Amino acid sequence: MRHDPLKKKTIKKIFKVDIKELLREVSHEWDIYLPQKKIGGDVWFEQVPKAGKDFEDALMEMTLEDVDTVVSPKEIFFPQLEPLFDFNEGNIIEIAGSSPKFLLGVKPCDLQGILFADEFFSRNVKDFYYGNRIKDRFIITIGCLQPPRPDACFCTSAHTGPFAEKGYNLQFVDTGDAYLVEVGSEKGREFLVRFDSFFIDVQDTAAQNIEQIKSKASESIQLKLDFEKAISLMRSKDTVPEEIYRRTGERCIYCGGCLYVCPSCTCFNVFDDAKGGQGTRFRNWDACVFSGYTREASGNNPRHEKWLRTLRRYEHKLKHDCEISGISGCVGCGRCLSSCPVNIGMSSFIREITGEKNEK
Amino acid sequence: MKHILTTCIYCGCGCGLYLVSDGNKIIGSYPSKNHPVSRGSLCVKGWNCYEFINKRDRLTNPLIKINNTFQQAKWITALSLTADRLNEISHRYGPDSIAFLSSAKATNEENYLMMKLARAVFKTNNIDNCARLCHSPTVVGLASTFGSGAMTNTIEEFEDADVVLVTGSDTCAQHPLIGTRIIKAVLDKKTTLIVIDPRKNQLSKYATIYVSQKNGTDVAWINGMINIIISENLYSRDYVRERVEGFELLKRKVSEYTPEKVRAITSIPEDKLIEMAHIYAGAKKAMIVYSMGITQHITGVDNVQSLANLAMVTGHVGFLCTGVNPLRGQNNVQGACDMGALPDVFPGYQHVSDESARKKFEAIWNVVGLPGNPGLTAMEIMNRAETGQIKGLYIFGENPMLSDPDMNHVKKALENLEFLVVQDIFVSETAEFADVILAGSSFAEKNGTFTSTERRCQRVRKAIGCPGNSREDWKIICDVATHCGYNGMNYSNPSEIMDEITRVTPIYAGMGYDRLDPWGLLWPCPDNEHPGTKILHAGTFAKGKGTFMPRGYKPPDELPDSEYNFILTTGRIYFHWHTGTMTRRTSVLEREFPECLVEINPENAKELALRSGGLVKVTSRRGFIEAKVSITENIPKNSIFIPFHFMEAAANILTNPALDPIAMIPEYKVCAVKVEKL
Repeated sequence: MRHDPLKKKTIKKIFKVDIKELLREVSHEWDIYLPQKKIGGDVWFEQVPKAGKDFEDALMEMTLEDVDTVVSPKEIFFPQLEPLFDFNEGNIIEIAGSSPKFLLGVKPCDLQGILFADEFFSRNVKDFYYGNRIKDRFIITIGCLQPPRPDACFCTSAHTGPFAEKGYNLQFVDTGDAYLVEVGSEKGREFLVRFDSFFIDVQDTAAQNIEQIKSKASESIQLKLDFEKAISLMRSKDTVPEEIYRRTGERCIYCGGCLYVCPSCTCFNVFDDAKGGQGTRFRNWDACVFSGYTREASGNNPRHEKWLRTLRRYEHKLKHDCEISGISGCVGCGRCLSSCPVNIGMSSFIREITGEKNEK
Repeated sequence: MKHILTTCIYCGCGCGLYLVSDGNKIIGSYPSKNHPVSRGSLCVKGWNCYEFINKRDRLTNPLIKINNTFQQAKWITALSLTADRLNEISHRYGPDSIAFLSSAKATNEENYLMMKLARAVFKTNNIDNCARLCHSPTVVGLASTFGSGAMTNTIEEFEDADVVLVTGSDTCAQHPLIGTRIIKAVLDKKTTLIVIDPRKNQLSKYATIYVSQKNGTDVAWINGMINIIISENLYSRDYVRERVEGFELLKRKVSEYTPEKVRAITSIPEDKLIEMAHIYAGAKKAMIVYSMGITQHITGVDNVQSLANLAMVTGHVGFLCTGVNPLRGQNNVQGACDMGALPDVFPGYQHVSDESARKKFEAIWNVVGLPGNPGLTAMEIMNRAETGQIKGLYIFGENPMLSDPDMNHVKKALENLEFLVVQDIFVSETAEFADVILAGSSFAEKNGTFTSTERRCQRVRKAIGCPGNSREDWKIICDVATHCGYNGMNYSNPSEIMDEITRVTPIYAGMGYDRLDPWGLLWPCPDNEHPGTKILHAGTFAKGKGTFMPRGYKPPDELPDSEYNFILTTGRIYFHWHTGTMTRRTSVLEREFPECLVEINPENAKELALRSGGLVKVTSRRGFIEAKVSITENIPKNSIFIPFHFMEAAANILTNPALDPIAMIPEYKVCAVKVEKL
């Protein structure tokens, strides 16, 4: 869906120096999640403590420019390990709670992953636990001026960035000392009204300014792929040679990393941890590259060979997800490549099947 | 939710890992993007290490065995009982009637404390750790040739080597972030890979030369390579002349190992041997990698010394992308050794027989009479427990029931003890025999440091509180010491313990916590300004000149015969870790590999009329197990491979406790078995 530059959208502006004060206000009502820079430079989305010294310390660690998290913020709504309920002698004790979550600094590709997960977890059965976690959620995306993973991310090819077109409450566009603010939803509009002391009116040239920034940002994405061609190849029968999957699959060491870091991966395993009649039922991240993912009780496994599991992983993202939900599962974030110990990634796979040259 | 930077608990790669905490429990484990080893990746074990930490069957209280059942006890009771019983035995039978097995999974600080407890409080050198079972030949073998028993180069150098020679290491399974670096370097066309291993593995597929040598014949092929290198004048004349002694003896010894003789012993074809020698000698940046396939033999020390000879004769020690690189298995087995949890050395490998070293430690610890005779090694401790000379044993974070060879003998040994105290986080198979179980802490619940295989000493950070009434391991050891009447273990936190370590351990002198952020330091780090040392033996060897140690081939202790006609080799697999106390409590890992599988060659399977998943009984002179088979070309004919992770089909019921005479490591890699279809 192309953005229509002629359509009038509400645009405001907030100075970067005012962000911390805004967050202090917001913290009274929401649990705030911000990108935090840790020792050594790693960045993670973390929940910021409520007001006080710890809150101020967390604000000090905040980074809105250099946001490259190994795992996407999907972990906020779909944690790696999630207790679902306790049980005691046959009685179920619900423990899942919810709280309003405020996320600032989500990347557009990660937003797409979150939206994908939203759809997945409400597709046939509304997932109670996921639903709880996203209730009263507020997301502010910040578009990328430079690709955070220049060798790996390809959002322009996947049409998921470097700025989001929909699905956000507010989107911040970095102009240097300030952000221009785009409204994406009614909740976003209400927020601007509530906190109007922080948001300034803009001149008519703001829309044009935004277009220029977005254009320049798109040009900065060096890695370009023929994403549509890849999807159409995957969706048409038997056009991708088995040999490509075999070669890739042989190298794979089954760490699960590519799927654990993927913003749109939602597969999970369920298990109980019990002692006597008491216990907790959990779910945790699973990955379709594992052999046990489809191993049957008899020991038979329809995906016994490695290459079949590699095939499954790529078909999930580029074929089945498109067929089921209309959008591709791959959001072009490039994390699968960045986190692969043997340099297998969506981008190199796409290049192979579309016939574009790979460096190695 | 918070992300806390720590170091992975599993292997010696030492990946930077973030534990995710919800304030109370651990809910995730992620790789560090900027850590020099992990660089945004982890293996399947690291990605799933969050799960075992808060399992319900964690030990949450100390336990005391009363009338053959374990009952919950108060800490003060358990600690006094431990101190009293150990003291009683020590007074009645002498200080060397008790022994300590420290944990290669625990922190450096905790290993230091265990060693201090044994020596300063109980006046015995009977302390060892599981390095005995894995890299003790490395410590001895490289100390005798180079002067220092550690990996000479660093993990990142694998990315730029011209040649990597891997022997006796299933690197992709056991050290995935090293194995994958080698694969990437090969695929980038930078690196030529040579793999010598009886068993094919993930890495051998990428090798330019892969040879399957007969099990336990390593001295022969290594001497064979050296022979070719010397006789064809491919050796480094200047390097050998200036930096190493004993060349003539080496030359004479290896001259017996012609390619024909090597083939007869090892079954490696002559042309392959010659090619390997040419490739390794001809490269400037050539690295040797090895692990259990070299060390777990009665000739473990010989094997290590032979590899050292090969590296020295070609001038491949002391430069970038060269060296002899033993891959230490456990997350902190390097540290456990560095901290002196060994019977013959203090921290920093200062010998107990060295009077000045003893005087130094007596002063720091405020004691007199530190013993000067080396104590017993882990295998000797177990043997003497069975015969009754060791009466009291303190086992910390170790599970010898499953990890020592000849399990039936271990069982007898543990049953025969007058007093056994086990400190652990779960009730392991070993803990079942204990009189007292002390409830310790996982790596998520304490501060400290681990030292990885590349000598990187780095931080472990407390992310959550200890569950129930369990306690941080370092506090427990201090409390035991205090209950013994010793007041030299009053530390408020692990940083203070490290401060003491830096004062007494020259290679760790600059390792105070304020210097270890973000990614630790590589020892030797002799002072507070020093940036750590990447490459060992640059310029000179740690002991000045290197020494060639020529060795002759000796066959393994127990080879197949008409009755026990298969070679059994044991080892690890990717999804599980050692005795499974952690990985078998992890849902994804247990699902991927839920039971023991005996690897057998298709020809043998056909002869035995076995199908995949068929049941077999495997018997050795020590005992028997029953398990399913996995039929694969990876294992040569007339050999089988059994992973040792599974109590219900414990490979170590079968293994041979024959030891390397110097390093005292058991020959896990070779024994004779028979295989019967059930």
